[in-house]
Parts: sequence; structure tokens; C-alpha cells
Amino acid sequence: MYLAIREMRFAKVRYSLIAIIMLLVAFLVLFVTGLARGLAYDNAASIQNMNASHFIMEKDSNHRFTRSQVTEQVLNQAGSVAGHENVQPLGVRMTTMTAEGTAGKLDVTILGMNPEGWLMPKVTEGAAIPSNGSGRVLVDRKLKDSGVIVGTVLLDQASGLKWTVSGFVSHESFSHSPVVILNEQDWQQLQSLAAMRPGTGQSEDGKIYNAVAVQATKHQAEQLAAALPDSEIVTKSDAVSAIPGYKEEQGSLWMMIIFLFIISSFVLAVFFYVVTIQKSSQFGILKAIGTRTAYLVRSVTLQVLLLSVGSLLISMLLVEGMKSVLPDGMPFLLESSTLAYTSGAFIAVSVVGSLLSVWKVTRIDALDAIGRSAA
Amino acid sequence: MRHRLILDNITHTFEDGGMQRTVLDHLNLHVSEGEFVAVMGPSGSGKSTFLSIAGALLKPTSGVVLLDGESLAGKENNALSDMRLHKIGFIFQSANLIPYLKVEEQLMLVAKQGGMKKTKANERIRELLHKLGLEHRRNAYPDKLSGGERQRVAIARALMNDPAVLLADEPTASLDAARGMDVVRMIAREAQERGKSAVMVTHDERVLPLCDRVLYLENGCLIEK
Repeated sequence: MYLAIREMRFAKVRYSLIAIIMLLVAFLVLFVTGLARGLAYDNAASIQNMNASHFIMEKDSNHRFTRSQVTEQVLNQAGSVAGHENVQPLGVRMTTMTAEGTAGKLDVTILGMNPEGWLMPKVTEGAAIPSNGSGRVLVDRKLKDSGVIVGTVLLDQASGLKWTVSGFVSHESFSHSPVVILNEQDWQQLQSLAAMRPGTGQSEDGKIYNAVAVQATKHQAEQLAAALPDSEIVTKSDAVSAIPGYKEEQGSLWMMIIFLFIISSFVLAVFFYVVTIQKSSQFGILKAIGTRTAYLVRSVTLQVLLLSVGSLLISMLLVEGMKSVLPDGMPFLLESSTLAYTSGAFIAVSVVGSLLSVWKVTRIDALDAIGRSAA
Repeated sequence: MRHRLILDNITHTFEDGGMQRTVLDHLNLHVSEGEFVAVMGPSGSGKSTFLSIAGALLKPTSGVVLLDGESLAGKENNALSDMRLHKIGFIFQSANLIPYLKVEEQLMLVAKQGGMKKTKANERIRELLHKLGLEHRRNAYPDKLSGGERQRVAIARALMNDPAVLLADEPTASLDAARGMDVVRMIAREAQERGKSAVMVTHDERVLPLCDRVLYLENGCLIEK
């Protein structure tokens, strides 16, 4: 402690330079992490916001909502295993719409769900939609930028159906497209107009969903898997990663983050290794006059910790500042838990970077101090 | 009279290009309280090895080193570190101060490691710096000190934990004659006043009159001439 702090005080320039490098790397780590989380949330907010633990999908659908089809029968069977209050039907369809009174087309995702069920997000503006009756929908507030307001009529290009916007919900998106929420009745109408898959052998009037959302324990999930041999029980995180584009987007960002971690570890390792080699005669003297190796190791590690924690704290302030000037459309999300994990990882990686120097310090022999003419 | 440093029947050999070399051969040395011994010898005669063994830096092949009556044989590295910290004061060829510590911090570092209370340490630092004429330099960094001042700081550092034994490795090597005499005089006075056993390895014949005994290291043994 005594040595570490006084040395940093003495060699201000040297330690400031390394601190600035660490600061920039830490800033980049936090910023890219925030961007990755922001994009992830922007991509899959609707699914992530759902209070479900698992989704029941058709076998061989590769965990993709849009590929899966499940019948009402599956819904009922799942309900009898996990409890009827713990299952909710969910329809997902990506489509293109036009809004009356505006030019241009909108790429949206239609979610069909029970307005009284626990999948239903909170309405932030306008009125909720009823369970019965038809023609009224909730839309994500992102569509406001395209000129959609309460009362706007939306026309689905594929089916020709028309719905009136009843209210807005916040942060509801699927595969980066804003979400339009239909009640079950409207969903089934849409479903019956769209072509049925041939050869599935399902009756025309049977209700078809894309998935069933379940709140289940691990044990219940196993029971469900046993009871529904033609279906697959998919965890929420698997379902999220299977959303088109999600894995690819996150993969490249995560590669950047991991590389930044490796870089910061190496920068620290090289810096402290060179400094330690420079100081090896000093360390020899200190050992000769009775300083324990553990004390010197603590001293080096403390310097690394001070540098990494200090640069992390400053970079957090910078990221906060950056957040306030980012444009609205730029998805950026850094929850405190992510921040804590990332900071922890950054500090851990820094300490790993100091191990080489620590090893070097333990190898320095106090004997070098005797018979040395110059230090 | 008590002997604070005893080297008893020390032999040290090492492998050198396939040959077994005996550097120290049944070497005996008793240094009593308040005694200041000079050890002379040509290069390669084993002076550094001798000093390393006496200073608990190197374990001899055979034989026992006793510091204040306590044997160093069979001690762990950490225990040896503690012996060096508390029982031995080292003075090296060049001062070998820590470049980023001010004069008083050099001493404080040693005191802290020795577990000395802060107020007591401050008192001792003041006392030592006064004695060695360094009071006005207490807040200077080593690179601002002259060679003689640096060596005096090194002596103060060696004395900080009130060791039983002072070991000096050619302390005058980097100093001119007058400064060298000053430094050796300080070591001699300290040994005498505080009843320490002091051993100095040196080439410098001018400082020999300040020593109580002069020994020559020849063929691995210490002999008086």
C-alpha cells in the first residue's frame, strides 16, 4: 500500500499514460456492451418482456416462433399439466402494413394474444383492447414516428384486413420491427384468411397459434415435454436467440467486447511486466532488507487494481455523458446488473494481466543486491 | 562479552562448469558486541558469498549462522525475511535507495514493515536523521541527494529497526575519500555506541584504522595478518 501509492505519485506521467489507455478501453467496453444490450432489447423486447419461462413450439421449428404452429389441443393439454392459468396462447406473424393517411409501408410484427392474459403489456397511451369484438389493436409507440396516432386505420397488405389503433404500448418489438397486438378473435380471423399449410391434417375451424407461453418450473417443463411428444419446450432465452438476426448481431458485438477484454489484459500485462523488469534491482534490495515477497506482490496487484478501478469509474461517467447525447433512435441499454458484471469482468481481466509481473516479482532474488556496484 | 554475530564452521560449495568449487572452507567468525570488523580480500575470494551467508540471503552448504544467539538453520523464507528485517542492517555498495520515496519515507517503509508504531517511528526517524546530519533533507527524493548523503540515508535505513548486526558491502566504493571516511566513521560509532556487531567488506585500505579488527579472506578462511 505504502509503496504502491507513493510510486504512482512519483511517476505520475508513466501511470497517467497507462491510465488513459485503460480508460479508453474501459469506455469502449462499456459502450459496446451498452450497444449490444440495447440492440438485443430493441430486437427482442416483446419476447424478453414476457413473463414466461418457456414456450411450447412445434417440433422441428428450430425454436422459431414464425415457423411453429400449435393447435388449441396443445394449449389445453399444456394447461392440464402446468395449470390453465399458467399457459397463454401466442400468435406471431411478420408482415407489412400501410397506415391510412400516411405514405410508405410499415414492417411490423403482429402478436395475437389474450388481452386479459398475463402476456399483455401495459398500455401507455389510449385505451386497451377488448377480448371480444374486433378491429381494434395496440401498437408500439415507435410507429408514432411514422405518423400513426390513436384512431389511425392500418391495412394489412397480405390479408387485406383493416384495424383501428386503439392505443400505444412501449418497448414492444420483435426482430427490430414494431409490434401490433391483436386480440384472439382478430388473430384467428387473420389466421383463417392466410393459407393453411397443406398436409397438416388440422381442421379448418381449429384454432392455430404459433406458440404457447408457459410459466413453469423446471420440473413442470419436463412433465410438459413428456406429455406433448409432438412439441418442443423451449426456454425463453433459446426462443430469443432464435429470433431472426438476433444471434448474428449479438455474436459480432460480443466478439468485439471479448477482444477488448483481451486487449486490456495484454496492455496491462506488458506495461507492468516492463515496469517490473525495470525495477527488479529495487525489488532485490527490498527483499534483502527484509521485505516479504507477499508484500511486493500485494503492492503490484494494488497498483493494477487502482488503475483498473479508477479508469472504470471515470469511463462510467463518460458513458453516462455519452448516453445523454445519443440520438433517440440509437438503442443503448446498460442496466446496473450488466454494468456490474462487465466491471467485475474488467477488473478480473486486469488482475489476470498482472499475474506475469507477480510471477516475475517472486522470481527476483535478494542475492542480486550484494556485490552490485550500481542500482 | 556477547557475540551478536557468529559464523560457525561455514562451508559453501557450488557447481561451476562441472567442477565442485569450495568458496568458503570451514570459516569461523565471532563478532562481539560493539565490535567493528573489516574483511578484505581480492575479487573472487568469496567476499560476497560470505556477506550473503552472514546476511541470511544465502544458505551455506554446511555450518551454522547465529544472529543474537538465534540460529538461521532450517528457517523458512518468510522467517529469514523477518530476521533480515529485524536483526540485520544492510548497507550496500551504492546506496540503493528506492527512487520514489522521500528520505523520511525510506525509513518509514522499514519501520512499517517492522511493525513499529507510527509515533515511535516518527520519533526514531527524527533522531536518526539528526544524528546523521540529514534533517534538512528529510523531504528530498534520492536523486536530489549527493552521493554521501545517499549513503548516510542508507545507513539510517539500516539502523531504523535497531538491528543486532550491521553488514556493509563496500560502502565507500562510490564515494570520494573524505565522504568515505565519514560514512565508515558513522558505522563504527553506531556499532560502538549501540553495542552492535558490524562487519564491513572493503577494498579501501584508508578506512582500516577505523576498524577494531581487520581480517583477510584467503582460501575460504578468514585470517588475521
